[in-house]
Amino acid sequence: MDNATNINVVRRPIHEANGLPNAHYIDPSIFDEEKHAVLFSQWAGFGVGAQVPEIGDVVPQTFLGIPLLMLRDKTGKVRVFQNTCRHRGMILVEEPRKIEGAIRCPYHSWCYSTEGRLISTPHVGGPGQNTHEGIDRTLLGLIEIRSYVWMDIVWINISGDAPEFLDANGELVAQWADFDKPLFHGGENSTFQLALDCNWKLAVENYCESYHLPWIHPGLNSYSRLEDHYHIEVPEKYSGQGTWVYRQLKDDAGNTFPDFADIDEKWDTAAEYISVFPNVLMGVHRDHTFAIILTPEGPEKTIENIHLYYAEPKTDADLRAKNTEQWKLIFNEDIFVVEGMQRGRHAPQFDGGRFSPAMDGPTHLFHDWVASKLQIHRNTKMATK
Amino acid sequence: MNTLDHQLLEAHSANDTAALVTLYAQAADQTDNINAACFYLTHAYVFALERGDEAADVLRERLAAHGREPLQD
Repeated sequence: MDNATNINVVRRPIHEANGLPNAHYIDPSIFDEEKHAVLFSQWAGFGVGAQVPEIGDVVPQTFLGIPLLMLRDKTGKVRVFQNTCRHRGMILVEEPRKIEGAIRCPYHSWCYSTEGRLISTPHVGGPGQNTHEGIDRTLLGLIEIRSYVWMDIVWINISGDAPEFLDANGELVAQWADFDKPLFHGGENSTFQLALDCNWKLAVENYCESYHLPWIHPGLNSYSRLEDHYHIEVPEKYSGQGTWVYRQLKDDAGNTFPDFADIDEKWDTAAEYISVFPNVLMGVHRDHTFAIILTPEGPEKTIENIHLYYAEPKTDADLRAKNTEQWKLIFNEDIFVVEGMQRGRHAPQFDGGRFSPAMDGPTHLFHDWVASKLQIHRNTKMATK
Repeated sequence: MNTLDHQLLEAHSANDTAALVTLYAQAADQTDNINAACFYLTHAYVFALERGDEAADVLRERLAAHGREPLQD
């Protein structure tokens, strides 16, 4: 293919490898290639169940240009559909709202149930004639996007042919089984967005390694030193970092958030931060979890959607706000780094960079994962030519 | 413009779907022309579906009785 970059060097052992070439961060054609190879073909983070807390709630949201809607159907199940009428392709839902009965297309009023069934085709056979032999409603339901909810994150597989979510992510689900229980979103003061002028992969890369912590987050040095961290590396799956010295946030009276029930004593002091490929960054602690869903908006534009969760539905609002502020400060400290690396990739002789064999294992693991998916994609394309 | 037409326009303008269900059903009841009646019933039915209004079941039965809607969706 014309725009194929050399990614073989990325797949070498870490002490010999270079990172992904510049084009993977700045070239629109490579962005488009990765969209298919890495984001559509996998289980990508799309949103959170807390965006549609009640039956009938619907949120329209694009994913890499695809108009989608996420809703909670009449049985309470979260579903994702293309936000497009099967008749003339009209956008069905323009803003978040509650569906009391059916989704009515605003154009010719074809109606769909919250399970996606086409239930009304007014005048389709002529005025007052609502059926026609050429229109089989059973074949014209909303196009459903494969989805799965884990830790309240709504994961979608656009291509529809990824392995089952639990097969694709079984190791991680097992690793964090202690937190696979009801999580309670902290509400309005526990969610925020950050807009980054960088490729989405740089946010993944920066998140999964601890090498940068003492330089970029000096506030952690007082209690969470570099040597208190460990790498998390599951080749071809995910990578991240853990700490052995997590310290709970306290209010002025010394109160903390309630702990998750029945978790291993390891979590008394441990916390883990994992980049779940391709685009979700997650953290778990004895008393809260968080998820950062990266929305790639273009080769050099990414939105971080951050959500914090707790073990119980009612926690102290001020303490939640304090926790949110603490994480916002840390995530903000990372912005100049990811944006700086982005600008750095316009230097034509930058060669993807070299990795610290000791400290950059999680980062290289991610690069290798991206390269492997690209190789599969390119080989498939070649085979079908 | 008669009163019902006026009320329908107002209900459309206000996106008052409850009123639209009622008014279109009334329009259907006021005509002897079966095609016109089914046209109005269709609108009443669609807005009832959108609202999750119980009236949708009866409206569908009326349409189905004239072969304009399957009994079961």
